[in-house]
Amino acid sequence: MRPSFFHHLHPPTIPASQSRFRYTLGAGGYSVFLTLVLLVSGALLMFYYVPTPAEAGPSIQMITFLVPFGALVRNLHYWSAQILVVVAAIHMLRVIFTGAYNSPRRFNYLLGLSLFVLALFLDFTGYVLRWDEGVRWALVAGTNLVDSIPWIGPGLYRLVMGASQPGPAALTRFYTWHIFGLVVLLLGVGVWHIFRVRRDGGIAVPPPEQRSTPQRISRFELVRREGLAALIGTAVLLLVSAFIPAPLAPPMSEVTSQAADSSAPWFFLWVQQLLKSGDAFWMGVFVPLVVLAVLGAIPYLLPAVKPDELGRWFPRSGRPAQVLALILVLAVLGLTLAAALAPPA
Amino acid sequence: MPATLSNAKTPSLPRRDFLTLAWKSLLAISGALSFAGMLRFLSHEPYPSPVTKFDLGLADDFPPGTVARIPEASAIVLHGEQGLVAYSLVCPHLGCTVESQKDGFECPCHGSRFDAQGSLVRGPASQGLRILKLEVDQAGHLILDTAA
Repeated sequence: MRPSFFHHLHPPTIPASQSRFRYTLGAGGYSVFLTLVLLVSGALLMFYYVPTPAEAGPSIQMITFLVPFGALVRNLHYWSAQILVVVAAIHMLRVIFTGAYNSPRRFNYLLGLSLFVLALFLDFTGYVLRWDEGVRWALVAGTNLVDSIPWIGPGLYRLVMGASQPGPAALTRFYTWHIFGLVVLLLGVGVWHIFRVRRDGGIAVPPPEQRSTPQRISRFELVRREGLAALIGTAVLLLVSAFIPAPLAPPMSEVTSQAADSSAPWFFLWVQQLLKSGDAFWMGVFVPLVVLAVLGAIPYLLPAVKPDELGRWFPRSGRPAQVLALILVLAVLGLTLAAALAPPA
Repeated sequence: MPATLSNAKTPSLPRRDFLTLAWKSLLAISGALSFAGMLRFLSHEPYPSPVTKFDLGLADDFPPGTVARIPEASAIVLHGEQGLVAYSLVCPHLGCTVESQKDGFECPCHGSRFDAQGSLVRGPASQGLRILKLEVDQAGHLILDTAA
């Protein structure tokens, strides 16, 4: 059979023990799956959503209450986006905890990290498109963080917002970034990321003579498992979307109302908690950038995992990276929990 | 390279290197110019700036002891011992509107506290609420300026 484009996506065979779910957790595959769901559901939402301050809220209400399956499509979009952040984070942790970030894969690790940042930006811009009282303070505080950056902050703020404060211009710009700019970047870097997995030698495994088993599975078996995983993913996503609605609040008013929710979106709660203890720039911009830099530096500054220890969880020679990642995760989770449990002002 | 050529006067920058440098510089310059052009393109502000001057009505309607919230300006006007004063209710930390408490104001976003006179009680904000310009025009109207 002449190989088609699709044959390039998977190698003819891959090592059996590294293609087990308990090793990969299917997290990379599920990230791709969720991205596809997001693209389709997002395209559907675009047929009704109107990105103006007057129409944003009402058009979302129309999608939710009048459009056939509208609520389902919106909920699918919402839940895929939230779950993507979690699944992508699990994927990153899997790579760190199995030592799969070593050269030659360390550049691809950086591509993955930038995909994670893009997903967060997409999540935040999408959240703002609701343009309701639930996003008011997150929009104000989040964009004022840009303003707080020394030297370039005020100029950058005006480029992001198209105005001196949140308003119709900001909504247009967030919309454009959300449905086009960031999506193009995500797809471009995403395809590069997947290409590099194969280019870097596929999934990380010990050299052939040091493998516990020479067993391999064929690409057909891999596709069968991926299909099964996608089927389970679809079922879970449909179930969640059918029963748990995406948040919706009264449309944003000109004047501050009591309905305004003072919480950041859940994936930025840890930043909000940091901000309670200090200066806007240092806590809200600098510290998150340091976290990102530390994550990015792991494959470059920490000792490499020994080749014979690759392809399994928690290799001994990867301890420093594992401890570092664990500390970061616990810190972010702790801050998130503290913010979530804080009594409302 | 033939020996006869290398005996000729060697320029400090060979022609090939010069051409490479030239086209790379041109590419870099056009890239930088395009980027700057795109930033300029995005710098336009398509909507008029929001109003910053608010006519609050007759100044006489704010007798001593008045505490008036001006929601459309996110401000509060007090008539105390020092006369009429206006504070911005926009938190100087990250811009959320502070909420009135028994003995002052608190920011719902990050918990900064201010006393009834707008002075800072507790961070993360590093300064008190901003004092706004308040003046009486010829018709006796109180004009609040949130930009000044």
